[in-house]
Amino acid sequence: MPARRRTLLKVIILGDSGVGKTSLMNQYVNKKFSNQYKATIGADFLTKEVQFEDRLFTLQIWDTAGQERFQSLGVAFYRGADCCVLVYDVNVMKSFDNLNNWREEFLIQASPSDPENFPFVVLGNKVDIDGGNSRVVSEKKARAWCASKGNIPYFETSAKEGLNVEEAFQCIAKNALKSGEEEEIYLPDTIDVGSSSQQRPSSSGCEC
Amino acid sequence: MDSADDAGPNSVFPSSVQPDQQNPSVSERIDDRLKRVSLVDTDALPGDAPPPAPHAIDVDSHAGVNGVLDARSGSEGNDKREEDGGEAPGDVLLPQLVGAEHAFEVTRSSSDAGLRDNFEIEVEEPSSPSSSGYAGERGSSNATTSTGIEEVGEDEIVEADAADSSVWTPGKRHVDEDDGSISWRKRKKHFFVLSHSGKPIYSRYGDEHRLAGFSATLQAIISFVQNGGDRVNFVRAGNHQVVFLVKGPIYLVCISCTEEPYEALKGQLELLYGQMLLILTRSVNRCFERNPKFDMTPLLGGTDAVFSSLIHSFSWNPATFLHAYTCLPLAYPTRQAAGAILQDVADSGVLFAILMCRHKVISLVGAQKSSLHPDDMLLLANFVLSSESFRTSESFSPICLPRYNPMAFLYAYVHYLDVDTYLVLLTTSSDSFYHLKDCRIRIETVLLKSNVLSEVQKSVLDGGLHVDDLPVDSSTSGSLSPHLGQDRSIPGSPDRSLSGIGGPGGLWHFIYRSIYLDQYVSSDFSSPINSPKQQKRLYRAYQKLYASMHSRETGPYKTQFRRDENSVLLCWITQDFELYAAFDPLADKALAIKICNRVCQWVRDIENEIFLLGASPFSW
Repeated sequence: MPARRRTLLKVIILGDSGVGKTSLMNQYVNKKFSNQYKATIGADFLTKEVQFEDRLFTLQIWDTAGQERFQSLGVAFYRGADCCVLVYDVNVMKSFDNLNNWREEFLIQASPSDPENFPFVVLGNKVDIDGGNSRVVSEKKARAWCASKGNIPYFETSAKEGLNVEEAFQCIAKNALKSGEEEEIYLPDTIDVGSSSQQRPSSSGCEC
Repeated sequence: MDSADDAGPNSVFPSSVQPDQQNPSVSERIDDRLKRVSLVDTDALPGDAPPPAPHAIDVDSHAGVNGVLDARSGSEGNDKREEDGGEAPGDVLLPQLVGAEHAFEVTRSSSDAGLRDNFEIEVEEPSSPSSSGYAGERGSSNATTSTGIEEVGEDEIVEADAADSSVWTPGKRHVDEDDGSISWRKRKKHFFVLSHSGKPIYSRYGDEHRLAGFSATLQAIISFVQNGGDRVNFVRAGNHQVVFLVKGPIYLVCISCTEEPYEALKGQLELLYGQMLLILTRSVNRCFERNPKFDMTPLLGGTDAVFSSLIHSFSWNPATFLHAYTCLPLAYPTRQAAGAILQDVADSGVLFAILMCRHKVISLVGAQKSSLHPDDMLLLANFVLSSESFRTSESFSPICLPRYNPMAFLYAYVHYLDVDTYLVLLTTSSDSFYHLKDCRIRIETVLLKSNVLSEVQKSVLDGGLHVDDLPVDSSTSGSLSPHLGQDRSIPGSPDRSLSGIGGPGGLWHFIYRSIYLDQYVSSDFSSPINSPKQQKRLYRAYQKLYASMHSRETGPYKTQFRRDENSVLLCWITQDFELYAAFDPLADKALAIKICNRVCQWVRDIENEIFLLGASPFSW
């Protein structure tokens, strides 16, 4: 708890299994990429410090498992998120179709105070594959969906080549930061000894 | 001491500190108090049934005793064995409440060499019906041995530097570490506080933000179990224990390989939470209700030292597990003089007036029917002592006493009267700084005039009780404690020759906790418990003993006698007091029991010097 105020932002990454969530995170945090697929079990957690407009803050990235069997973890994981990143594979139509489900599931489970304006970012990953020849979701289509959901920022990324990854996370951080801006007012009570309405925990056993 | 004479002990503190709340009835408590209690070694009266003994208990089956061991086998499983030249068979530890309705006894192990080891435990249950007299043999078949208490050892990179409270300085260290650092992973005892969304709030070691991923993992574990409608209390992983405490939106976690009992670690997490409430109140919960993203670290800015100092006290301050406070030894009239002036200001709208010297109470009073919980006193003293700014000027700060009212703030006026002695005046009104300042000036004047402050300094220099000052014979124990205003160099008792070092009968150290006063007194450490390492080992042994005596699953017990290669520990609990005593590992049991009786007598003889009496309306 240093004197200089730092902000911690909780970022959840969601999307179908195999779309490259872990790879994106690894590329962003560790600048590494592996072609080998290793399914995430439950969730992975990574931390990255980011400088943004002279402010230092920490991204706490929750890389979740895409498999359906892990979706029961939702409430536990989504609570208190500052930003949600939806990832799909531009070469797999199903993963794009599912974005809607992921978004809605998130809003239900995390129940943010202002769901309309909760910051999402959409990433269309794996644009490098086959030089783009195997892609089935057009950028236009993706952007249209994002626009219909309240102008969600959209990035086309390649975790393998590091394309747009830094930019995407900069945007994620910026949006997360914006949503965290409203300050909570913390106002504790003062004891009024005069009134008898004083709350006493039973453990104190004050009866005399 | 002008004000001491006109105020009787009862009239001075009409209604301040609460006696122990577990004792159901006041009259019962006082009745018990009137009984003479003594711990008797029945070797002296072989074959004799104890005097009136409607509830005499014996624990004679292996199962009974092993049950106790097994319950804590996780932590004690490895006590080192040592061949012990068998003792006489069947000697009996028989504490009894003379002339009262309770008598009980416990036997220790028989001479069955096969089962003998140096690790003896005797426990008796207060309520199981049984006849009196000789209880059959039992053996500790505890086969495993533990590095348990030895943990204080060489490889400890953390707490070695923190063990000596005289050189320990509060504040966060090793901020450059995170969960990837080898040094961080090797630390013996971690404490974490995080929010229900997994955002770090406090970590004992390392930078909170760099531990964000680790923090998220902890939240995932807790929330996952919670989602299943369940609760995770602790996880044991190798020799590490991970203890969880969920307090609404705030999660507290301790990861420790110190082999401390679960109950002890959980109690420490409770205190850590209490310390947080003392600074913020439970109103922070509302912030989380409105906004799960809420980050409370800014609200705790600058309080690292408060938490690190509290955590440090978990390894040296018995108040953290005894839930009792301790007083600075003072002549009765001196303490009365201090109490009288505090009472004076308490009558003028001060909720609590507390005069303390470091962690020890000089005097305290409460207005109206208010009472102060020992845990609140511990947290308050820790807050004051660990915040440097209180030392430099008079201060007025909002604080919350979690056991008094966790939701709301009180206001504390804090002023140091000398380098160790400080006054805390608590009020409910945020604009009474100047009134409290006036009160302080009045108090300070009286304390100076009546020499209380110089007596306090003298007491600090003299130290507390010393085991070698234990009166030789109970017939001479009517006198005051030797060092209080008198010559302390009395010749050692004849018993001393039996052990060579320490007090009579090989007594090394003791803690006496008065149940109805909520206070304890502990002897000063002396040879051979010299090094911080030994002191911490003894502290941990007491802590373990306390947990096993009070265990919900296997206890509560009234007596316990344990021998291992480090020491003999004897614990004796009655309705009035708890006595924890440490002896030389070769100490004779019958003699140890005799010494314990003497310690109790001694404490009773000097109780008006070592305890704050009259703070409770039910005491005398």
